Amino acid sequence: MKEQEDQTVDEQKEPNQYSRREMLKMSLLTGAGVAISMSGIGALTSMTNVFGETVKKSGSSSEKDIISFYGKHQAGIVTPQQTYTYLAAFDFTTSSKGDVIRLLKQWTLLAESMSQGKADHKYSNDWLPPKDTGEALDLPPSRLTLTFGFGPSFFSKKGIDRFGVKRKSPKHLKDIPLMPRDNLQEPFIGGDFCVQACAEDQQVAFHAIRNFIKSAVGKAEVRWMQSGFISAKHGKTPRNLFGFKDGTANADPKDSKAHEQIIWAGDEEPAWMNGGSYMAFRKIKMFLEVWDRSSLKDQEDTFGRKKESGAPYGKINEHDKVNPIQMPPDSHTAIAKRTGQQIYRRAYSYTDGVDPKTGYVDAGLLFISYQKNPAEQFIPMLKKMSKADKLNEYTQHIGSAMFAMPRGIKKGEYIGQPLFDSF
Amino acid sequence: MNLSKSILYTVLSVSILTVPVVSGCSNKAASSGEQKKETSSKDNELKSQVKEMEASLENLQNSLQDKNESKVKEYGKRLNKQWLTYENNIREKYPLLYTDTEKYLLPLYAEVTKDKLNSSKVQQLSVDLSRSFKNLRNAKESTQKTNKVLDSAVKKYQKYVNEQTGELVKSTKSFTDAVRANNTPKAKEAYAEARVYYERIEPIAESFGDLDPKIDARENDVDGEWTGFHRIEKALWKDGSLKGMTRYANQLDQDVAELQEKIEKVKLNPTQIVAGSMELLNEAAISKVTGEEERYSHIDLVDLNSNVEGSQAVYHAVLPVLNEKNKDLAQDLDTEFNKITVLLNEHKNSGAYLNYEKLKKSQVRELSQQLNTLSESMAQTAEIFQ
Repeated sequence: MKEQEDQTVDEQKEPNQYSRREMLKMSLLTGAGVAISMSGIGALTSMTNVFGETVKKSGSSSEKDIISFYGKHQAGIVTPQQTYTYLAAFDFTTSSKGDVIRLLKQWTLLAESMSQGKADHKYSNDWLPPKDTGEALDLPPSRLTLTFGFGPSFFSKKGIDRFGVKRKSPKHLKDIPLMPRDNLQEPFIGGDFCVQACAEDQQVAFHAIRNFIKSAVGKAEVRWMQSGFISAKHGKTPRNLFGFKDGTANADPKDSKAHEQIIWAGDEEPAWMNGGSYMAFRKIKMFLEVWDRSSLKDQEDTFGRKKESGAPYGKINEHDKVNPIQMPPDSHTAIAKRTGQQIYRRAYSYTDGVDPKTGYVDAGLLFISYQKNPAEQFIPMLKKMSKADKLNEYTQHIGSAMFAMPRGIKKGEYIGQPLFDSF
Repeated sequence: MNLSKSILYTVLSVSILTVPVVSGCSNKAASSGEQKKETSSKDNELKSQVKEMEASLENLQNSLQDKNESKVKEYGKRLNKQWLTYENNIREKYPLLYTDTEKYLLPLYAEVTKDKLNSSKVQQLSVDLSRSFKNLRNAKESTQKTNKVLDSAVKKYQKYVNEQTGELVKSTKSFTDAVRANNTPKAKEAYAEARVYYERIEPIAESFGDLDPKIDARENDVDGEWTGFHRIEKALWKDGSLKGMTRYANQLDQDVAELQEKIEKVKLNPTQIVAGSMELLNEAAISKVTGEEERYSHIDLVDLNSNVEGSQAVYHAVLPVLNEKNKDLAQDLDTEFNKITVLLNEHKNSGAYLNYEKLKKSQVRELSQQLNTLSESMAQTAEIFQ
């Protein structure tokens, strides 16, 4: 109850901003998505000027769009969410810093050319395997973005400063502590390095990850990989596999001021992270069969929102102001709301066939959020939800990782370069 | 022998099945030694010659499409004439590509000089030929030295294969003798020994059509009668009885002897050898590291190690050329072969490899990843053909 009162007071202070703040304060499962709803063709064009990162090539198909790989911040974070993702974590098998740098350079070249829809076809001889695997040859760039991050084990593993970069460790990079109901399952825990590939075409996204894995042989191996999808009609907030709108609360993709507050780390961090962010990853299994036989009332009580309209309890429209007093106290929205924190969500749904143990469909959510200070913004929120969220009856967290995503890459630089430069 | 093998087989662009024609050529090539002058202008000359031939070939293909038989013949003959004019220049500089071109051009010429030409055959040959031309056009000059060294690499490897085959015949005999004597413990021991020699040269054995299935098929791999090593393996480890196995033992001796006869006659070429070394590693990665090959005896690690050794023999044979073309790659391969050998040695108990079933999942994965790393480097060995 105390939290609830605090919240009310807090809201009264800034009546003018409430809708923006309301949206930002929404959380985990009901979080993301304004971004997505904006990703329609018209919205894209209008965003071009603001970000300077979307370059229209020709025609009106968003598949033809190229998202610049270079910039102040990495692409694939506030970039309007693409339909498909492949998310992969790598472990370095080499102990040589030189090898790591060589691989990062190679990945940089790959990422740059693939995001423009180009592939390496330099001819050498017929007896050699082709350099590029080829399945994206005739496909457009499809707004492919590749986003990179370093895990805690990259800086220190079993107390060893593996690559001599420990002194440049980011401030808040730690494994997410074990939560009350966690049932984490190998291999979806941690990783030295992460690559998030997103595109409007699943084959383009897979091609990117595949060629990353291929070029890493001997230096790094893929620890885990997960594909995801998310889709909504133009202008609508996408829905998660429980059928509820999943989003509504993200900062507007154009609101760079909000991004500074929520997403981008500043000069409190080592230089390579200034303009970077932290990615929190949770693989959340959703028990679809159990959910599907719950009454509509139960489902809506669980979220604290109406299923069809997405309106919070006691309100009419999706974006109406949330008032926790009007919804069950253990509902997902009420709990999230009371944490008073903001994160930037970029989640995808996943399906993994059938769980051989139960015969249930194996599916869920790849929760991905970006924030500048996970210790403050994310971990406390997760803790509260893990304890009390009514949604926990239908979900289980089975994977977890945290990565520090460096600032954007300048032309001529390689991924994470300032981390390795000797000053 | 399994299904994936046959897939691999077709996938590899230079299959060991292709008729070996190369080894004669490098001898011819070794004759002239002072070709350093005006390399670049000579290269340009070659390029324009190849372009002329490509133009003729394109005309031939177009005529083929128009079903204009007399034109096809005309261009086919023109192509042959051009080739005869230019081939000396090409043979000296690019012996491998030279034979690769002749392999298709000669039968094509034979076809267009017939009264009635087989257009689908001409079509296929023309496709292969245009590929050879493309290789020629992009070729970098290989030195005379390289040719000599490649030639001796082939000889060295051929010697290795003959030795291994000799050992295979001997060790198979010890195995089949034990089977005929109904001595199960001895047969089990001898089985593992004989497998070593077969697995080291498997791709060569596979190139003789039906011999490999007769010797190495697993249950359900073949439509006809199941014979060979794995038939007896099942009797030894699963059925626990050698009853009725004498017949298979005799057959195996016979098949292995036939294999030796064929191998002694075969002429290998460098591209086949390198492709074979990859086949060995792919085999190891697909059916050995997964424990599918030796499903009753579980001696998959023996096979895996033998595949790696067979591949390493190729590495040793081509090392002098590799040192010349890409020293770093040679060094990498050395490191990777060492690593996998060390790793495999960790899975030994008093000198013998552990039963595959004793391996932990994480150990299998580690082996698989090391094999992957080695294979990735080995695949680059074809750089020696540039």
